[in-house]
Amino acid sequence: MSQTKRSEVKKERRSFLNTLLKTGLVAWVASVIYPVARFLIPPKMAELNVSSIEVGLISDFPKSSSKIVRFGRKPIIVIRKESGDFKALEATCTHLDCNVQFKSETEQIWCACHNGLYDIEGKNISGPPPKPLAQFKVDIAREKIIVSQMDLS
Amino acid sequence: MIKRSYWLLIGLLFSFSTLIADSTLKKDACVSCHIEVDEENDDEDKIVSYYKSDLHVKLGFSCADCHGGDPEAYDDEDEAMWENDTFIGVIEKEEQLEVCGKCHSNPVFMRQYSTDIKVDQVTQYLTSGHGIALENGNENVAVCSSCHGVHGILPVDDPRAPVYAKNIPKTCSKCHSDETVMFESGLPTNQFTEYEMSVHGMALLDRGDIGAPACNDCHGNHGASPPYVSNVDQICGTCHSNNKDLFQKSHLNDIFLSKGLGQCEACHGNHDIAKPTDEFLNWADESTCKPCHEDSHPAKALALSFYQTIDSLKTGLEHARKMVEKAEHKGMIVSNLLFDLDDAKKALIHTRTNIHSFNKAFVDTGAAPGFQSIQAAIIGAKESLEEVEYRKKGLFIFSLIITFFVIAIGFKINEWKKQRESASN
Amino acid sequence: MKIYEWINERVDISSIKKIALKKRVPIFYGTIWYYLGGVSLFLFMIQVFTGILLVLYYQPGAETAYESVKFIISRVEFGWLIREVHSWSANLFILFVFFHMFTVFFAKAYRKPREMTWISGMILLLLSLGFGFSGYLLPWNELAYFATKVGSDIAGAIPIIGDFALRLLRSGDEVSGATLTRFYGIHTALLPGIFTVMLGLHLILVQVQGMSVPPEIEKIPEKERKSIPFFPDFALQDAMAWLIVLNIIALLAVFFPWELGPKADPLASAPAGIRPEWYFMFMFQTLKYIPAHVLFIEGELFGILLFSIGGFIWFMVPFLDKKAHEGIRTPFWTWFGILLIIYMIVFTAWGYLT
Repeated sequence: MSQTKRSEVKKERRSFLNTLLKTGLVAWVASVIYPVARFLIPPKMAELNVSSIEVGLISDFPKSSSKIVRFGRKPIIVIRKESGDFKALEATCTHLDCNVQFKSETEQIWCACHNGLYDIEGKNISGPPPKPLAQFKVDIAREKIIVSQMDLS
Repeated sequence: MIKRSYWLLIGLLFSFSTLIADSTLKKDACVSCHIEVDEENDDEDKIVSYYKSDLHVKLGFSCADCHGGDPEAYDDEDEAMWENDTFIGVIEKEEQLEVCGKCHSNPVFMRQYSTDIKVDQVTQYLTSGHGIALENGNENVAVCSSCHGVHGILPVDDPRAPVYAKNIPKTCSKCHSDETVMFESGLPTNQFTEYEMSVHGMALLDRGDIGAPACNDCHGNHGASPPYVSNVDQICGTCHSNNKDLFQKSHLNDIFLSKGLGQCEACHGNHDIAKPTDEFLNWADESTCKPCHEDSHPAKALALSFYQTIDSLKTGLEHARKMVEKAEHKGMIVSNLLFDLDDAKKALIHTRTNIHSFNKAFVDTGAAPGFQSIQAAIIGAKESLEEVEYRKKGLFIFSLIITFFVIAIGFKINEWKKQRESASN
Repeated sequence: MKIYEWINERVDISSIKKIALKKRVPIFYGTIWYYLGGVSLFLFMIQVFTGILLVLYYQPGAETAYESVKFIISRVEFGWLIREVHSWSANLFILFVFFHMFTVFFAKAYRKPREMTWISGMILLLLSLGFGFSGYLLPWNELAYFATKVGSDIAGAIPIIGDFALRLLRSGDEVSGATLTRFYGIHTALLPGIFTVMLGLHLILVQVQGMSVPPEIEKIPEKERKSIPFFPDFALQDAMAWLIVLNIIALLAVFFPWELGPKADPLASAPAGIRPEWYFMFMFQTLKYIPAHVLFIEGELFGILLFSIGGFIWFMVPFLDKKAHEGIRTPFWTWFGILLIIYMIVFTAWGYLT
């Protein structure tokens, strides 16, 4: 091969290598920027909040009805009394951990497993349950029902 | 140095303290004599020391209030006891009803101490197994003191009382497990041993759950007698109300009654109630249906369909649980899936109660939410595992890019080296 | 390069370029050690980068810290990746810093004129351990809570100022939410500030003084010593090493994720087998086995004194090992280093095996 041909081949090899290098750099930068960019975009749920949750609108709860919802890791029962007021209690029976239910006729809370009975305030009034149901705070903010932990004071 | 006046005070306090300790127990004629008698008795016969802790002492009752005699007749045995008209002395079994009942059956009297205390104990007792046997001349029965104690009677809610919930099975079995005592009545003596191993026995005695029934919760207290066959479901239903309601509505209820079978008892036993297993519904050795039904009877198909539903829930739940654990193992957060597993478990418990309706449609409807929760958990776990695979794929691609880039750089370095070498040549 | 020319027309950086291009890296059996400092630097940069990303979602405070970390790794896109990289890179950073320190020690690079580089490096080591200790608590999980409790207890054993030091560290008498806030400030503001200054000093010294070689190599006349230019050759080799380390971290992040575990509960009893992070383990294990009283000194205090004196000697090595400047390798110091490494490895392993 002549001198010029050799240097031409060398130039080609060099520019090919440069292209490879540039491609590699771009690919690498992209593979780092892509997850970082996705990371920066906030997810739909703004935060993992277990000190208070929104359980719905007032209109979701007819009078004398109840719903069991998840509060962090625990189930709670949210009740709308005949009077229209709201009450939120833990839904796990203090006897052997079954889920309690709301009896609208007597406005009491009943556990189907061994016939345990609590009054509307969560106090255990008959049957095996040894302790009352834990209380939760209910606030109404613009038609929305917010349940949060009771203040320790 | 403590002032002399302080020593005097301390000395006075000391001498008073001996009085203070027994200040609730009036040191009347009975007590002052019997304290000395006690010193010559064995520990278990020391009457006064027992009586000191008695509930009646705290309310101001003296020995004479039950035993009669003159509590003011100090140092005169005859005047205090033998020559006194009211003196009863040792109270015989039959006499107990009268002596205890004198106060405890008198509503006007008892109201002084508590407005809601019951006054029907003696009336109830006379209807009980014990009461009837006693009337028929069987002295080997329980009377008031047999269960409540005699001189150191404690209230029912005192954990040291023989009639406190946890202590009741032992108190009853004192007689009911003793063959010599039960010989005359001909009653069996295996109840306590059976109860001890039962679900209720283990809950009450081992775990201390006073929500679990003791003997009196099913047999009654003062009116203690075995439940009528037709009432067994009411007794069990006090706690197991759902099972009772479903069974009463089912077609088996009337059939059982007509055959003299004690509803719940027929399948679950009475004292030896063990934790029920799903094998009760299987058509094999532990089946509770086979003892009555032939293989050709539709009961077999029904029992097996129940067994199938429960088994599917169980295996589904187990499968879902394994998948969730696998996802958790691989580093994924699964707390919301644990909720679904919990719901499925509750549906399983629910279904096991529902079979007491002996209605296939009802049971299947009740089990449906359980299957839904299982599906939700499985789907969630699958998604988590897919995410793990996605991450591995991402890693693979990233590694390829890096490898490629590193090799390219390596070649470039090489090229520069060669350039420099050729330039210096 | 257009950018270079644009800047150079405004600020004279041509002298910097000249100096940079002059920098050469000696080639001998120990060249591979030269990578260690650079990799440590790279890992620190990863920490800053991923740390800033985490700070965008992390919420300090006893009621929110754990939940926010859980949120990051389960809900934020690639949150798991950023967190895992940060955790793994932190551990690798300390590991490489130790490697770097020991290779520098055995190469006797601390001898005159590089004493200040060693001192600044030692300060950087302490700051790194501070980063590790403060950062470990931030997820507010059970393991971290108790490790911090045990670790900070040791501060209380310092004579005279012990109680004060403990309260200062813990922002109170117990490890609490206040401690978490303080550690957060230390980890994200205080330490990064001081570290940057120290690191700047350390790097400038290295650039200005050039790469050191062991006394044996220094004896060889300069003309016969092999070397390559830093720019572009070694710089690119550095880049290759950094990329490979990055790949390893990615691998670890995917296959060996760090567990978050349960949330810290100050009222719960300590779980069995609490231990500090691995880089404190050898000290922890030593303190465990010192008898309650050595002579007239309380055991824990004796341990602290031991570590303080040992640390101080290590810190002052450039001034104690004077012979090194003359090119003499004193067996005492060689053995000191070897025994120190063996001690650290054995006690760390022992701590994990029990």
